Amino acid sequence: MKRILLGSLLAAVSLNALAEAPGGPSCGWGNMLFKGQRGTATHLVASTTNGSSGNATFGMTSGTNGCRTDGALTYTGKPMLVLGSIMDELSEDMAKGEGEALTTYAVLLGVPPEDRARFAAVTHEHFAEIFSSADVTAKDVHNATLAVLKKDTRLAKYAEQA
Amino acid sequence: MLKRLLPLLLGCACAMLQAAPPLSDTRLHELASDPFWLALGHYQRDRLGGWHSHVDDDAFFFAERGERDPAAELAAILAALYREPGLADRHPQCRFPARTRWLRERLTLNDLPQPQCREYDDWYAEIAPHSTVLVFPAAYLNSPSSMFGHTLLRIDPAGIDTQGSALLSYALNFGAYIEGSDNSILYAWKGLMGGYPGLFALLPYREKLTEYSRLENRDLWEYRLNLTTEETGRMVEHVWELRQIQFDYYFFDENCSYRLLELLDIARPGLELTKGFSLTAIPADTVRAVEQAGLIESVDYRPSREKELLERAAPLSQAERDWTRRLAEDSAPLASPAFQALPTGRQAQVLDAAYRLIRYRKSGEERDEASARDSHRLLQAINRNPPPRLAVARPVPPEKGHPSRTWQLAFGNREQRSFAEYGLRMAYHDLQDNLDGFPLGAQIEIAQLKLRQYEGNHWQLQQLDLANIRSLTPRSALLSPWSWQVGSGLERVIGKGRHDNEQLVGHLSGGIGSTWQLDESLVGFALATTRLEQNEDFAAFISPAAGFDAGLLWRNPLGNLGLEAGADYFHNGEVRRTLSLAQHWEIADNLGLRLSARRELSQQASPASEVSLQLRWYHY
Repeated sequence: MKRILLGSLLAAVSLNALAEAPGGPSCGWGNMLFKGQRGTATHLVASTTNGSSGNATFGMTSGTNGCRTDGALTYTGKPMLVLGSIMDELSEDMAKGEGEALTTYAVLLGVPPEDRARFAAVTHEHFAEIFSSADVTAKDVHNATLAVLKKDTRLAKYAEQA
Repeated sequence: MLKRLLPLLLGCACAMLQAAPPLSDTRLHELASDPFWLALGHYQRDRLGGWHSHVDDDAFFFAERGERDPAAELAAILAALYREPGLADRHPQCRFPARTRWLRERLTLNDLPQPQCREYDDWYAEIAPHSTVLVFPAAYLNSPSSMFGHTLLRIDPAGIDTQGSALLSYALNFGAYIEGSDNSILYAWKGLMGGYPGLFALLPYREKLTEYSRLENRDLWEYRLNLTTEETGRMVEHVWELRQIQFDYYFFDENCSYRLLELLDIARPGLELTKGFSLTAIPADTVRAVEQAGLIESVDYRPSREKELLERAAPLSQAERDWTRRLAEDSAPLASPAFQALPTGRQAQVLDAAYRLIRYRKSGEERDEASARDSHRLLQAINRNPPPRLAVARPVPPEKGHPSRTWQLAFGNREQRSFAEYGLRMAYHDLQDNLDGFPLGAQIEIAQLKLRQYEGNHWQLQQLDLANIRSLTPRSALLSPWSWQVGSGLERVIGKGRHDNEQLVGHLSGGIGSTWQLDESLVGFALATTRLEQNEDFAAFISPAAGFDAGLLWRNPLGNLGLEAGADYFHNGEVRRTLSLAQHWEIADNLGLRLSARRELSQQASPASEVSLQLRWYHY
């Protein structure tokens, strides 16, 4: 009985996830600055049991916090998915010109360590174009980044292979 | 014709399938008592000397009595490994890759069918396990349940330090699976008592980071373990076997930390880390065990977002903090001449502090247009004038703090009567205890017993705490957290009593108020309190009281000093006041000496004074 109950709960969760638009709107955690990201505070209650409510994910599955891996994602999937979940951190890092989220984005774009300082400098310089408003989505940011990279002789190749 | 042939053909096909090699009884039992096999099945000895698995899930066992019979389970899976390879992802080899590998190696099973394990192979390739990091989100003052901390593992791919990013790694978390919407009391109770099933979850590490560092404001400690690629791989292989498998979850013992120790035992057989954690597995104790086993290679520290915000605001002047608050409310004054008049370097710090303050306030809330716009404007300003990199000093790591259990021995005098007092506290830390590895102003005490022996060999139960939790978080220019306390148990209070002026009462009490940082090493607090008391001196069975509790906590070179005054005004007219002073002296890492003095006043009895000197030995 318990298993059946759990099973149907899981099914309900994934149904909910499916009802949402690709990549969001509840993709990611709370504290979201940019559109396409919004979270709930329900996870706060998880601390006595260190558990997750209705989200017994096991990697790779869709629906990690409502972020979907499938659907109408224009890009190769993973970069967009990750980007969607680090928009806040990335915007802050890019504004400042350094940080872990910025490095992560460089990794996703295939920028090797020797070009990452350049990547950080260029995206920092063009921050205003990449995060052009408070309403940009992960897709907008990705497009704008690629456009900026294309204009840089050293980094253009990473925009083309992305 | 063909129809008639088909069963025959199928029969041949089946006959051609290999069967498991016969295994002698001695060999079977020898294998089944191998520590690694027992670890794979999460077996432990029960009281009668038999075996019992921690796993509470039929899907995990092949034999009917598999949960209690490691040998039957071994025989059953050995046969199952030879099932039709066409089962593919549902084949026992695909479901249980770690058991399969071990049996194949131990029994040299060269004739095993070879099913295609697509799901498992993809999953393993996606994680690409190479090395392991033990992650410890430390306690957060204002969240009692977090005070014990939590542990999880991060599985990194190769080249993480030079090529990659931890944000792309996976975190392996063991936690309770919460169904439906129990209210929080029931939730905590069930969490403690094993009412929820425990499951492993594997999810992007960045989500765990966000959860702890932004939503819960907990510092994170990352311990890179010296597990080899093979050892990490072996562990991850077994983790796949635990996918959607239910364990019982108990807050104190069979919790996240215990389960992770089991996994490390599988990664490197022979560690036997779980030994010694049968009663409680408090995360800091388990990290210490991992350290003592020589597994820790290096330690990283990630301060919480709250700590970063406070660090950024620390060097700001009063006027600059005002600017920080104003800009976090509304970004419009950014362009004002008054703000522009600040030196550029100071502007940069104010901008960063204001941005961090908005994000801190908005953390966990729904996105709203106005604050998103303000945040974005601040980011643009930061982009034009970036602040210097923020460096938060690394505090003493939690595993360097005192062990969780405390033995106490005290000698003292109460109203001209000498006594000795013997105490044991199962967990964890009070306001005066040795401070390294703990935040000042946090107290969480669970299950504390004190027995007192007065001269003339008169013994009495002095105290029996269920729990006693206090959270004194200082308010600052930017943040205004509440301070609070709850406690319940049996204790002696001043009263008529039978032998003396002490009465044993049961109580449930709580308080809420504020704490202020008066000086770098001095905090003051004041709380309004309420109390329900069961006291034989009173006519009513349960008597309510309201009161206050205020005091100072001073971090001095010897240790912590606490000075506290409190009063309870009962509805029946009784007024009980206490004044106490305690100086703790940190003698050694696991030893403290405490001098306490106490004065109690009551309407019903003459005042009483008590002085005692207590030795506290922290030992797990």
